Amino acid sequence: MDLKSIKDAFDRVANKQKLSYSKTHEIVQMLSQEIDKALSILQEASPFDHRSILADVKKMFTEISPVNQLEAAEKELNVALTKYPKVLEKQLNTDISKAYRNNVEFDTHIVNQIIANFFYRQGMFDIGDCFVAETGESECSTRKSFKEMYQILEAMKGRDLEPALNWAVSNSDKLKQVRSDLELKLRSLHFLEIAEGKNSQEAINYARKHIAVFADSLPETQKLVCSLLWNKNLVKSPYSEFLSPALWDNAVKELTRQYCNLLGESSESPLSITITAGTQTLPVLLKYINVMANKKLDLQNMEQLPVAVALPKEYQFHSVFVCPVSKEQSSDDNPPMMMSCGHVLCKQTINRMSKNGSKSSFKCPYCPTDVDISRCRQLHF
Amino acid sequence: MEIDPVTNGNADAVMTESAPTITPSPPVPSSRLSQLTESLKLEHQLLRVPFEHYRKTIRANHRCFEKEVSSVVSTVGDLADNDWSKDVTVSRLTSLVSRLQGLKRKLEEGSNVENLQAQRCRARIDHLDSADVKNITEWNNTKLKRILVDYMLRMSYFETASKLSESTNISDLVDIDIFREAKKVIDALKNRDVASALAWCAENKTRLKKSKSKFEFQLRLQEFIELVRADTAESYKQAILYARKHLAPWGATHMNELQHVVATLAFKSTTECTKYKILFEIRQWDVLVHQFKQEFCKLYGMTMEPLLNIYLQAGLSALKTPYGFEEGCTKEDPLSQESFRKLARPLPYSKQDHSKLVCYISKEPMDTDNPPQVLPNGYVYSTKALKEMAEKNGGNITCPRTGFVCNYTDLVKAYVS
Repeated sequence: MDLKSIKDAFDRVANKQKLSYSKTHEIVQMLSQEIDKALSILQEASPFDHRSILADVKKMFTEISPVNQLEAAEKELNVALTKYPKVLEKQLNTDISKAYRNNVEFDTHIVNQIIANFFYRQGMFDIGDCFVAETGESECSTRKSFKEMYQILEAMKGRDLEPALNWAVSNSDKLKQVRSDLELKLRSLHFLEIAEGKNSQEAINYARKHIAVFADSLPETQKLVCSLLWNKNLVKSPYSEFLSPALWDNAVKELTRQYCNLLGESSESPLSITITAGTQTLPVLLKYINVMANKKLDLQNMEQLPVAVALPKEYQFHSVFVCPVSKEQSSDDNPPMMMSCGHVLCKQTINRMSKNGSKSSFKCPYCPTDVDISRCRQLHF
Repeated sequence: MEIDPVTNGNADAVMTESAPTITPSPPVPSSRLSQLTESLKLEHQLLRVPFEHYRKTIRANHRCFEKEVSSVVSTVGDLADNDWSKDVTVSRLTSLVSRLQGLKRKLEEGSNVENLQAQRCRARIDHLDSADVKNITEWNNTKLKRILVDYMLRMSYFETASKLSESTNISDLVDIDIFREAKKVIDALKNRDVASALAWCAENKTRLKKSKSKFEFQLRLQEFIELVRADTAESYKQAILYARKHLAPWGATHMNELQHVVATLAFKSTTECTKYKILFEIRQWDVLVHQFKQEFCKLYGMTMEPLLNIYLQAGLSALKTPYGFEEGCTKEDPLSQESFRKLARPLPYSKQDHSKLVCYISKEPMDTDNPPQVLPNGYVYSTKALKEMAEKNGGNITCPRTGFVCNYTDLVKAYVS
């Protein structure tokens, strides 16, 4: 895409519009001047007959022919006005709905619920409430929970860890189950706050009471307590990392993640994941449709997208195994199998290579190993 | 069983030979840049809509000025050609002067409006220009909000649309004013009033004619039907007069429809004949609303569907895997949510052309940096996660899915290409 050509084409439009404007202005100015002039001559009781003066003005107007001048200016502007949309059509995808399945209709209620939920999870409660009221949808079940989450995060912004700690403590079992170190993160921040603002004795007391329980995470706790040695001068200590605002950001991130997870929600908004995935998918689909324009392509009833779309790693939620020989995706009937050399094929391919078991061994397609069929085993990713 | 790197290297060579169709796309910056450029190409509507608005204003202003100027010129001509007294001439000329003053003012105002609209067009080009690989997350967030506003406008949720665009500072990037214009027409149609829809047709006559739109004809037909529905002697008379004036001109191109509708004069609104009964259904007004929306979108270069639906469809398909519908699906997958599942059900599954493995324990990708290792029971996890587990448990590994216990030394590396 060439954004510059779009910009140039638009500049041309804007220029011609200015030109056309000043031309019109000039013409109107000229008309009123001429009439003014005629009027003043008339009113000065001039010796000329008023008819001849009028005839002069008329003659002049016919000669200049302001309407023609206006038309000429418009013509130039029109050329630019017709050109710009053509440039847009050339540089951009004119109709992205070519990749749209018309026979699939989304349920408006579901879409509205998804949108309301999106606003709440982004902390945009006013807008969420306004949306729910305007659409007449029923109250969103997650609103209350997200409200609580944002109250905790809001408090953390003001360096108040109390609500966050309360939440982490009351959900401590569940957090342990998913191996989250949220509580330690929060306790560390709290400890550092105390060490910085108050005296070391209080920090030590705090460490005994709340940090000692994290014996599993020795290196972290050791560092924390050692940082007391550089009391109030952490900047020049080996522990200057403790001053970094990233610690707070990480704690906020971890809290959001765990909070959403316990709610049964993803840590990133599912709507924004889906739309971002859509943004990356549409160009691929549109290109495919363009290339395949001549072949009859039944996009409306496909079971599977016709092309693979490379989504970013973080959108890869499941293991997918595609047999490198047959290019088929593995399934329960056709599971991935590892050969003795460590290379992996799917079961059907191995059956084919061994002529349905009539041969007891075959050569691995990727290395010189002679593969013994009885030693191939199924993998679970 | 261990494979030395040389053998494996050879193996890769064999693979590319045997399967030349595979084109792996490594996530290098250049590919991300081209991905970004490709995604910007989707923004036709963003640039097109304000431009169509701008063009419309320019044309309307110009038509108005041309008319005024030519009328001034012809008035002077008339004055010169007729034999008026001096006093009359002076007073006529004076009124012309004040008329020109008014025209100047109008010109000024018109130019201000045009400039504002030009600014909006520019703001959008600049917005596209501002996207780069570094700020793409933020840019995509704004994009999502734009898409949501577009959805709300099409669904006539104006209040939330304005609130959202104001609070996120995207007023220049959304088309609230344009949709307000549409809303007037839609509201009137819902009240069974075609006047503003007809006015809209008149305003956009040339463009509608160019696209061979028959929307105006359909409005006229509906008005005719309403006259027939009234069922009085007077209204029938009116209906015939109306048809002569407004329907007959369409006869050349739409004779069949014309005949169909005019024949209702014989059938009346109480008819049981399905072919004619359908014309008297109140639902016809909803059809008109729908048709208006289509004409409106076409005129401004918008997609017929809300952008949200188009992006959702594509995104859901790309994310849709059989695993997303399973019981223990990770919550990070949007398709683990019931609402997303429902939307995705009728859509196609994604296609994969090469394996992508994700560690069950750490959810991290398993690739050459973090290769997959196989337990004796056939379950596969990432090296990093297994190492960490072994370090904590004195070299022992417990399979989280089966409870099977083995030693770190029992593990075998798997080569998945």
